Amino acid sequence: MLHYVLKRLFTMAMTLVVISVLVFVIIKLPPGDYLSTYIEELKAQGESVDQGRIEFLRKRYGLDQPAWQQYLNWATGLLRGDLGWSFEYDQPVAQVVGETLFMTVILKLATVLFIYAVAFPIGVYSATHQYSWSDHGLTFLGFLGIAVPNFLLALAVLYAANVWFGTSIGGLMDPAYIDKPWSWGKFLSVLEHLWAPVFVIGITGTAGMIRRLRANLLDELQKQYVTTARAKGLTERKLLLRYPMRMALNPFIADVGSLLPQLVSGAVIVSVVMSLPTSGPMLLSALQSQDMYLAGSFLMFLATLTVVGMFLSDLALALLDPRIRLE
Amino acid sequence: MMGKLLTMIACTAITIWFAAAAQAQLVDPPMFAEAVKAGKLPPVDKRVPSEPSVVRFDGKQATVGRHGGMMTQLMERSSDIKRMSAYGYARLVGYTPSYTLEADLLKAYEIKEGREFTFVLRKGHRWSDGEPFTTEDFRYFWEDMVLNKEMSPEGPPKDMLVEGQPPKVEIIDKQTIRYTWDKPNPFFLPALAGATPLMIYRPSHYLKRFHKRHAKADKLEAEISKRKRRDWVDLHFNRDRTARLDNPDIPVLDPWVNTTPSPSERFIFERNAYFHRVDQAGLQLPYVDRIAVTIAASKLIPAKVGAGEAELQSRALQFNNYTVLKRAEVRQDYKVRLWRNARGSQIALYPNLNVTDDGWRALMRDVRFRRALSLAIDRREINMVIYYGLARESANTVLSESPLFQPELKTAWSTFDLAQANKLLDDMGLTQRDSRGVRLMPDGRPIEIIVETAGEGAEHTDVLELVRDTWIKAGVALFIKPQTREVMRRRVKAGLAVMSVFFGFDNGIATADTPPNELAPTLEDQLQWPQWGMWHTSSGRSGAKPDLPEVRRLDELFAKWLVSTSGGERKAIWDEMLKINAEQVFSIGMVNAVPQPVVISNRVHNVPETALYSWEPGGHFGIFRPDTFWLSDSKQGS
Repeated sequence: MLHYVLKRLFTMAMTLVVISVLVFVIIKLPPGDYLSTYIEELKAQGESVDQGRIEFLRKRYGLDQPAWQQYLNWATGLLRGDLGWSFEYDQPVAQVVGETLFMTVILKLATVLFIYAVAFPIGVYSATHQYSWSDHGLTFLGFLGIAVPNFLLALAVLYAANVWFGTSIGGLMDPAYIDKPWSWGKFLSVLEHLWAPVFVIGITGTAGMIRRLRANLLDELQKQYVTTARAKGLTERKLLLRYPMRMALNPFIADVGSLLPQLVSGAVIVSVVMSLPTSGPMLLSALQSQDMYLAGSFLMFLATLTVVGMFLSDLALALLDPRIRLE
Repeated sequence: MMGKLLTMIACTAITIWFAAAAQAQLVDPPMFAEAVKAGKLPPVDKRVPSEPSVVRFDGKQATVGRHGGMMTQLMERSSDIKRMSAYGYARLVGYTPSYTLEADLLKAYEIKEGREFTFVLRKGHRWSDGEPFTTEDFRYFWEDMVLNKEMSPEGPPKDMLVEGQPPKVEIIDKQTIRYTWDKPNPFFLPALAGATPLMIYRPSHYLKRFHKRHAKADKLEAEISKRKRRDWVDLHFNRDRTARLDNPDIPVLDPWVNTTPSPSERFIFERNAYFHRVDQAGLQLPYVDRIAVTIAASKLIPAKVGAGEAELQSRALQFNNYTVLKRAEVRQDYKVRLWRNARGSQIALYPNLNVTDDGWRALMRDVRFRRALSLAIDRREINMVIYYGLARESANTVLSESPLFQPELKTAWSTFDLAQANKLLDDMGLTQRDSRGVRLMPDGRPIEIIVETAGEGAEHTDVLELVRDTWIKAGVALFIKPQTREVMRRRVKAGLAVMSVFFGFDNGIATADTPPNELAPTLEDQLQWPQWGMWHTSSGRSGAKPDLPEVRRLDELFAKWLVSTSGGERKAIWDEMLKINAEQVFSIGMVNAVPQPVVISNRVHNVPETALYSWEPGGHFGIFRPDTFWLSDSKQGS
């Protein structure tokens, strides 16, 4: 076991090094740098730009150095826990990202809970009542959930919430509460706004989860040990929950790996459409304006979470399912 | 006789008394009542300059308002709050709504021979933190920032250079300062009045603590490490982002002061207690206590405005949002006004005269070819299909609102005439056609013009689709290649792009005193002649010398304009330059004066119903002085 863990840790470190190079190269691939984007932004507003000033800024930001040196500076900074400097906000990356992280985690936790709360009962019901009308009906709804593009759903839900309930469009709270300390009113306002993105982001996940749970459970229900248990007189309920259900849970644990990074990013498009103060839109705008350390460090953060998440889910699977061997 | 004299004296006395009363009875905004009572803030007559700028209303379009309230605006990104500087529009000299210059922060200014500028400040003028605003703030900017080699290795800003020479700066007293150049500097005042202005003063009392020359070394070190900056220049640079308004600590002269550190989803701007303008009734401006700027995705802004979440909004609203906005007019109790865009053309095609391909360059430089392309565009159809007929069909030239407007330039080579277009192309000898009917170039390649767009959304592409339909009838094929702005500009500069599409002249409401730099090769990012523009900016070190006689004439005229000081001479130069541009069709304009929706809540008063919508000059709402906009309590129809 220890040997396995060490081997995995080593591979993880190597993977992260490779990812960091890739991330940096891809961010650098489009021609120009943050300053050329910045110049264009100024010009778009009819502002004149001093070429001398730009050269001066380029030097200050270290953008005149060769790419490999920029990479080394950034990568060694990462090792020391320094995420670098955001050009656009002129603040340390950690500070810029930190502000949005809290809201992102709240949103995603709520979404995950929503998915589990809805998908579990429906999935189990569908599997145990296979090919009944209710199964067909729920399956149909599930397919709808997978098929409707969620940015479209987001717009429809925003419109409906505004027209029917008078909720302000976009954001996670009423504008009046932004940057105010937490209060009961603010909490209620967040709840009032939270359901829409949770519903929209969760709907695809829920539909997928229902399908997988149903399929897994059906597999298990065909097996002989179920028949044996039934023959021994176990009640249907006890039988279902104690044996096939546990086997059907494997994919959920395997999911934990991808869940971790999703908690901090995830659902970028929906967040942009709904103008949520989460990290997704920030990552997008950083990529657009070539704010390379903000984008790069953020992506590295996600990569680290993915790698760690995978590792944890592998360990958990091994502990929970004796059929899986690590060596 | 005696009675008449007495009446006269009485009248004069009353007038004087009224004038004195208007000066004496300044009205403090209720928001500060408590602070003034508690002695935390001096009363209003101690806060405004002894000679404040008095705003008078005509009583029809604009009236005396009342203090109070919060106005909401939506912006796309947190860095966009810098626009509040233009919306506040406090400038040393500023444009009036009729685009003439007048003193604003300054009490007065005097210009001699276009090269000697004497500025007089208002006595008792204070920054938003209550410290005096004096010529020391100008000296600090000039000596400690511009002339400091560590801080500005690139030297003074370019609008302060005439043929590379900086001005002589004389501080005459605490309120008077003079800038003198050897030759006229026509760029200086327009730059000071710009939507993004040249700022030649800084709050020196605040910034000195970050400057090596003024701060104690140990304190400066502590400050640098506290804020995690590299060195003192970096620290100063960070604290002095005056134009970006993202440092709530820095004192300003604007009507509203930012109170929220960046980044945030919502910024609150509060009234500046020391603002220098008062209205005719003695109320200190601005009327509105607070402005809230909420950040939202640009695609969501029209929907949010339609849901009544902004009191005054133009940003991120486009003409195609008009119907959506109009529908919610009654429910949300606002009005959608249509202002007119002040660009020379909403969309213009730029044949690249510096394209590297020999065959294409020969075509692009042939005036018959450019004229034919322009004649083969059905501007009426574009106006009807895309703009519901609300725009004006025109070549890329100044608007009829400009004093330089000439009706024949609007129609020059810009009427739909396929027969003449075909004739011009036939005359050029382009008579060979391929099976599709597309004409062939002399070297046998078909004339398939790839128009590179800057990806500014669907509007440009939609218009180009219509252009394609009529161009093919003249035997010219059109293909659209969407790019990002940076890539498009780079390809144009490198001579790889044959033709590009962009907006027309930025300033369609120019006067004779506006520098005509858009009409001649002056900048390397001019899409029709990038190489010639580069030759101009680099003073002949890079780029290429203009080799078309007409363009050389433009170059000469521009040089002449720079040293001319009389209005008549400037107007003559402008007229000739506009004429050359129209006759030579260096850019192919289509429609201008495109309507810009402006949503104004019925609670907001004093906003003009119709106006030109322009960023430079004007700063959108800026020249209409948003500090004079006021809010009524109840929502009411008007």
